[in-house]
Parts: sequence; C-alpha cells; structure tokens
Amino acid sequence: MSTRHILLGLLEAGPSHGYDLKRRHDERFPQARPLAYGQVYTTLQRLVRDGLAEVEGTDADGGPERTLYRSTAAGARELARWAGEIAPPAPFVANEIFAKVVVSILSGGDPAAYLRAQQDAHKARMRELTAVKTDPGADLATVLSADYALNHLDADLRWMHTTAARLATLTAEVDTT
Amino acid sequence: MNHRGDAMSDKEEGPVPLLAARSLVKAYGRTPALRGASVALGAGEILAVTGASGSGKSTLLHLLSGIARPDEGAVTYDGQRLDRLPERRLTELRRTDFGVVFQFGQLIPELTAVDNVGLPLLLAGASRATARERAGEWLERFGVRGQEGLRPGELSGGQAQRVALARALVTGPRVVFADEPTGALDSLAGEQVMTALVHTAREAGTAVLLITHDAQVAAYADREVRLGDGLVLPAGVAA
Amino acid sequence: MTGGPVGGGTAGARPRDGGAASGGRPARDEVSGAGVPAEARLAWQLARGADRREWWRAGLTAAGAALATGFAQAAVVLGSLRGQYHVSVGDGLLNEPGERSGVVLALVLLLVPVLGFLGQCARIGAVHRDRRLAGLRLAGATPAQVRRIAALETGPACLLGSLLATAAAVAVVLRLWSSPAPAAWAGLALIALAVPVLGTAVAVLALRRLVASPLGWVRRARPRGGRGPALLFAGGLLVVLPSALWTFGGARKGLPLTVFALVAAVGAGTVWLAGGTARLAGRLVARRARSAATLIAAERLRDDPWAAARTHAAVLLVTVVGTGFVGVRQALLAELDRMRRDHQLGMPTAFYTTGIGLTGAAILVALAITVCGLAVGTAESLADRRRGLAAQVAAGVPRAVLGRALLLETALPLAPALALAGAGGMAIGTWYATLADGTVTVPYAALLVPVLVYGCCLAAAATALPLLRRSARPGELRYA
Repeated sequence: MSTRHILLGLLEAGPSHGYDLKRRHDERFPQARPLAYGQVYTTLQRLVRDGLAEVEGTDADGGPERTLYRSTAAGARELARWAGEIAPPAPFVANEIFAKVVVSILSGGDPAAYLRAQQDAHKARMRELTAVKTDPGADLATVLSADYALNHLDADLRWMHTTAARLATLTAEVDTT
Repeated sequence: MNHRGDAMSDKEEGPVPLLAARSLVKAYGRTPALRGASVALGAGEILAVTGASGSGKSTLLHLLSGIARPDEGAVTYDGQRLDRLPERRLTELRRTDFGVVFQFGQLIPELTAVDNVGLPLLLAGASRATARERAGEWLERFGVRGQEGLRPGELSGGQAQRVALARALVTGPRVVFADEPTGALDSLAGEQVMTALVHTAREAGTAVLLITHDAQVAAYADREVRLGDGLVLPAGVAA
Repeated sequence: MTGGPVGGGTAGARPRDGGAASGGRPARDEVSGAGVPAEARLAWQLARGADRREWWRAGLTAAGAALATGFAQAAVVLGSLRGQYHVSVGDGLLNEPGERSGVVLALVLLLVPVLGFLGQCARIGAVHRDRRLAGLRLAGATPAQVRRIAALETGPACLLGSLLATAAAVAVVLRLWSSPAPAAWAGLALIALAVPVLGTAVAVLALRRLVASPLGWVRRARPRGGRGPALLFAGGLLVVLPSALWTFGGARKGLPLTVFALVAAVGAGTVWLAGGTARLAGRLVARRARSAATLIAAERLRDDPWAAARTHAAVLLVTVVGTGFVGVRQALLAELDRMRRDHQLGMPTAFYTTGIGLTGAAILVALAITVCGLAVGTAESLADRRRGLAAQVAAGVPRAVLGRALLLETALPLAPALALAGAGGMAIGTWYATLADGTVTVPYAALLVPVLVYGCCLAAAATALPLLRRSARPGELRYA
C-alpha cells in the first residue's frame, strides 16, 4: 500500500497539517493499520523533496507550531496516474501459511495441527470483523473494508481446508524432492 | 458469548442453557445421521453449526426444534424434555417459542407476503386486522415495503427470505432455527438477511441456531460448533 | 505449433472413439440409434425406478381404461343388435330397438365422467413426470423419442385395463348370446384397440409444450392451466358425439342431437361456472377470512381457480343431471301410477320402472366415478405440495389447520356452484313435472340431490386426510 499516494490524495481536498492528515486517514480507512505520526512526517518531507507537495505556511494558534502542506500540479498528475494504474493481481503466489506448512513438513513438525490452529484463528478474526460490520453504528466504509478482509480470510480458510485434506500427498511430494 | 472451546461439554458450567441436546442418535433407515451429538445453546446466544454436507447438521436442527424425535439421547428446552412432549404441545411450542427459516420453501406460495407473516399470529388467535398490521410493521422493518401484497413467487430470493425471517420472528420467539438461510442467495442479499437476523436477535435477546456451510455466514455467530460424521468435533480437530 | 497437437488429437480421437463404441459407450447408441426396443427398455427402467405414485397412476389409469372399455363395448354390442331380440336381462328393456338406443346413449354418456376420472389420473405425479421427460430431452433425446417413451409409459396401463374389460365383456356376451353377430365381435375388437390408442395419443398430445421447450419445464415447478385433462375431456367429447349420433340414427334423428348439444352446453357451462364461483368464492372469502385455514383455502382458490374447476365440473354435471332426473322420475312415476289405475299401460309396470331404475343407477355410477376422481385429485394436490406442507408443520402450523384448509378448498367453491347446479336441475324437473301434470309442480325430493352430492364430495376430499399426516413429516424437508 502506497502511503505516499494516500496522503497525496488526502491533500487534494485542501491544505492540511500532519496531525490532521493522520486523523483523516484513520477515519477514512477504518480497520486499516493506523498511521504513525513519524511515518506521516517523513512521507510529507519526501513529497516536498520530489516536488509533489509544498509547504503552505505554518500556524500556531496558541499550541505548538504546525506546518501546513498542500499538493502541487505535479502531485495531482502523479496522483491521477497512480489512481488509474491497475494493481498487479497476485504478483507473488508465495504466502506465509503455505511456507509454514512446507517448513513444518521438512522439519518433521505437525502441519495438520498448525493448519487447524490457523483456521480457528482465522474464524475468530472473522467473527470479530463481522461484529464490527454488523454494529448498528457502522458506516459503509467500515462495512466495505471489513468485507474486503472477510473475503480474503474466507479464501484463506477454504485454501487451508483443501490443503489439510491433501496433506498426505503433499508430505510425500515434499519429502521425495 | 465466548464459550469457545467448551462446545462439547454437555455438563454445562455456569448458567443452565436454554436449549440442550445430549448424546443425540438418529438414523434414517439404516443411514445414521447423528451418532451421539451433544450441543447447548444459551439464552440470547447465536450459535453456528457447520460441517460438510451429510454431517448431520439439518438432522440436529430438526431434533432441537422438535420437528423430529431422536432415537436416543435427550433434548431439553427451558427445563422440560422436548423429546417426550406430545406432538400437540410440540406444534404449539414451535409456533410460540420457536421460529424456523429454511433455505427456501417455508412460505405458503398462495398467500401474500403480509398474510404469510401474519399467519402465526392468526394461528395464535389474533384477529386478521391485528395480524396484518403487525406483519406490515415487520415487513417494513426488514425493508420489504410496498411488496406486502405480492406472493412469494413474485418476490426476489432475498426479499422472500426476509419475509420468511419476519414470519419466524413475528411471534417474538425465544429461539430461531435457521437452516442455510442464505443458501440460495447472492452475497449481498445474503448479507442483508443475516444482518436483519442478527440485529433483531440481539435486540430481542433471541437465541439463534444457525446451520451453514459458509464460513462468512458462520462468522455472524458468537460461537461455532462443527459436526463431522454425526458427531460434534472438538475444537481444533479437522472436519 | 498449436495447430499440430490439436489437429492430431482430433484425428487420433476418432478411431479410438469408434473402437470404444462397440463396448464402452452403449448409452448414446441406446438413445439415438437403437430405436423402439431400447426406448422400451428405458421406459421400463424409468418405471422400475419410479416411486409409488407412478404405480398408483398406472393402476388407476388401467381401472379408468377398463371402465371406458366396458361402457363402450356394452354400447357397441347393444348397438349391433338390429330389430327385435329377446334379451334375458333388463325386464325386456333391451328387446326393442327404440328403448335399446336409449340405453346405448346412457352408456355413451357414462363415458363423460370416466374421461374426467382418467384426466385426474393423468395428473398424478404430473410435475415429477414432466421434469423427468424434460431431463431426457436435455440429455439429448429427440422430441420423437421422448414422445415414444411417454407413450410407452401410458400405453401399457391403458392396454391392460382394456384387455381386462374385453375379457369380461367376451365372457358376458358368450353367456347371454348363443351366436353373436360378426358386427358385435368387430365392435368389441375395435373398442379394445381404440381405448389404449386414444389414451396414449392424449398422453403424447399433452407433452407438446414440454417437447418444444425442455428447459422451461425443468425449471418451472408447477405447470399452470393443465391442458392435459382438458384435452382429454375435449377429445373424449369429440369421440362421444359422433358415436351417440350414430347410435340413435334413423327416425329419431333430432332428439339425440338435442340431448347431446344440451349435455355439451351444460358441460362447458359447468366448467365456466365452477371456475367462476371458485374465483369469486376465493376473492370474497380471502378478504374476510378470520382463521388461518379459511385464509389458506381461499387464497389457493384465488390463485388457481381453474384447478378446482377441472375437478368440480364433472361433479356439477352429475348434480344437474341427477337433480333433474329425480324431478323427472317423480313425475314419471306419478304418471305411471295414474295410467296403471286407468289401465292405459301397454307393458307391465316393471318395464317402465326398470328403465327409470337403470337411468338412476347410471347416474349413481357416474357420481361414484366422479367422486373417485375428486378423491384422486385431492390426494394428488397434497402429494404435489408435500415439501411445503412439511415446512408449514415444522413452523408450527397444526396439521388440523392444514386439514381444514384442504377440506375448505373443496367445500368453499362447491357450495355456491352446487346450489346453482341444483337450481338448474330443479328447473328441468319442475318444467317436466309441470308439463306432465298441467299445473305447477315442484319435485321437492330432488332438493336432496345437491346436498347428497356435497356430502359425497366432502367425504371424498376427507379420504386424503390420512395422506396429509404422512406427507407433512420432517423427512420431506430433507429433499429440496
């Protein structure tokens, strides 16, 4: 996920300072990993360095001094390019769960037990996300982002289910090669 | 909530469950459907029962809801042995205390949506006007407004299931049994049905026994038990 | 590079397939190439795999075919007699050509309720059968093959019934008649063949739409309109009409035509009347229904009034004729009595009373057949809906409510329709009695007929109640 482009997108709405950007990011993308302040400031500085954003000024109404940033024309062009660009579908097929299963077979562990525990963890997370989603106060953005995660977890679960059923064959294959 | 892990212990610790099944055995002819399954449902709890097809899910629902009787084992509801009640009492119980939602087919095809929903009230002795009025409120609540006069065949799958849900909930039951309620629906319609069910159940404190093979549907529950080969599988065991 | 392997693959596949066809792939050859023996085998397999309903249908169809054959053969044998005979049964009623032709007409008219009954039998398992045959079409069977298979499913039942009836008829004829005329034999043989052929033809005709669009019929659970029985009814009438005319022939040409036109008009009228009252009763009652049973019954009528109409039309026809007959009989007997006192009778009284008695018996037989048809129809409508009924019971709808709804479905539309039919019959009776008596005479006894018929119909519908208990059980929920 490109934090740079997301911040650039938030800046398009109008000049803002770092704290404001972080707050709006966390609001707009609920259930996503929250942004750290440090990350916001380093990213903003890089955007200024690359000419995609510039400093609008500072304001310090009583509190600590805060720098206002705004997007440049180059920034808007870059944002449009990025937003229209297609995200590569599944560029790498390796994943952590599969890696753990294979390593477990190689090292003589219990891949079946691992898969069961992982499935239970997935299901518990799915119940959590569903609870977030069905909360009467949930807005559509929350529902949609929870749905995205739920669908991926569901896909993982189904994959684990078929993998667990074919572990014997996989073990034979991994052990002979 | 959060009974995770103790799904199979039939000696319940803590509060007495609203509905409990102990060592249920049921066979259809020579085919065993359940071979000693135990499960408990607390008041207001939403419990998902999952498992491959043929694992005995629907049979478990039939036995717990008093639609069928077990060959062996006991079903206890609210302190009374369900499997020993006479048929007349069971029918009454299913009408007053339970609600059922199947994948499809539980609406009477010749009755309009509003009359289908009002039917349990009519059976309970309400007047036709009261039944229609209450049914109308439920339909409105479930977003089936303006379609009260249509017959099930004229509704979309999602609308028909929400009508079925309204019919199951209209009497204010203590337990709703849902057997693959979204099985015939696309994911958006399924989500609407599940959200309507979960919201109403949480609000009214209705317990729900939800049979499904879909992990995303099962995730609406507080807890999940898995059936395999006619038995409840302990947590962490592959189906 | 891509073209090579693909081309080679097809080229290579051909001889392999050819080789396999001799041993490995009989199914395709059976359906497309091998013709009637293979289709007969397939029909037999379908019959063996079929459920009990299919055997009920076959049995009842055979019974209906036997009745049709019996009545038709009796009519033909009597019709083959020319001039004076001494027949040992019927108090001399069959001796004279004039009276004989009346009996023949009665026999031919008895075919009408029989055809109605056969129509009900054809509906047993209709939904399931349509789906099965549509499945055959989807599996690649040609329309002609599906028609032949359907013919093979219905034909044997009709043939069996016809053969049984023919055997009985031959035995009776040989006992009563020392040297039967060749014409009688020819007639017997003709009817024995015609009944199964016609029955099969109607079964095939009813498949027209199914054969044309197999997809639509696989998906649709419930065919609306049900033209099969209607076709059977219409086809039957077409056969009945010329034969009745032929029977009467000769001098009294006008009368049979009138009688028949009357029956046809009353028949068409009763279907319309039955459908109309069913819809009206449904609409009126549905709005005011206070109980669940009434509501369910009324909405079912409103949804498909013609289903009830098909079943009830024959009932109404019998009621009109029956009520009219009782009125006419009363007047006739009174007149006979008067004539006997005045010594005006040319024949023994028994001659006349036997005729009247026989007519009454014929109407009773017609009523019995019609009521059987009604029972079959009610049972079939239950069997058709068994999954839905099981779901209602599962949802806590008491079986008693469903049972009451079932009875009300018969009772609601029949009450007004029977009242009208009874009124029509009374009009006929009153008209005749008034004509005979000179003053306005109302044969009140005839009023009992509609009431009696109503009772019979409710009893017939009630015979399906045990089936409701069996149908609405949780096992049915297991199969979607």
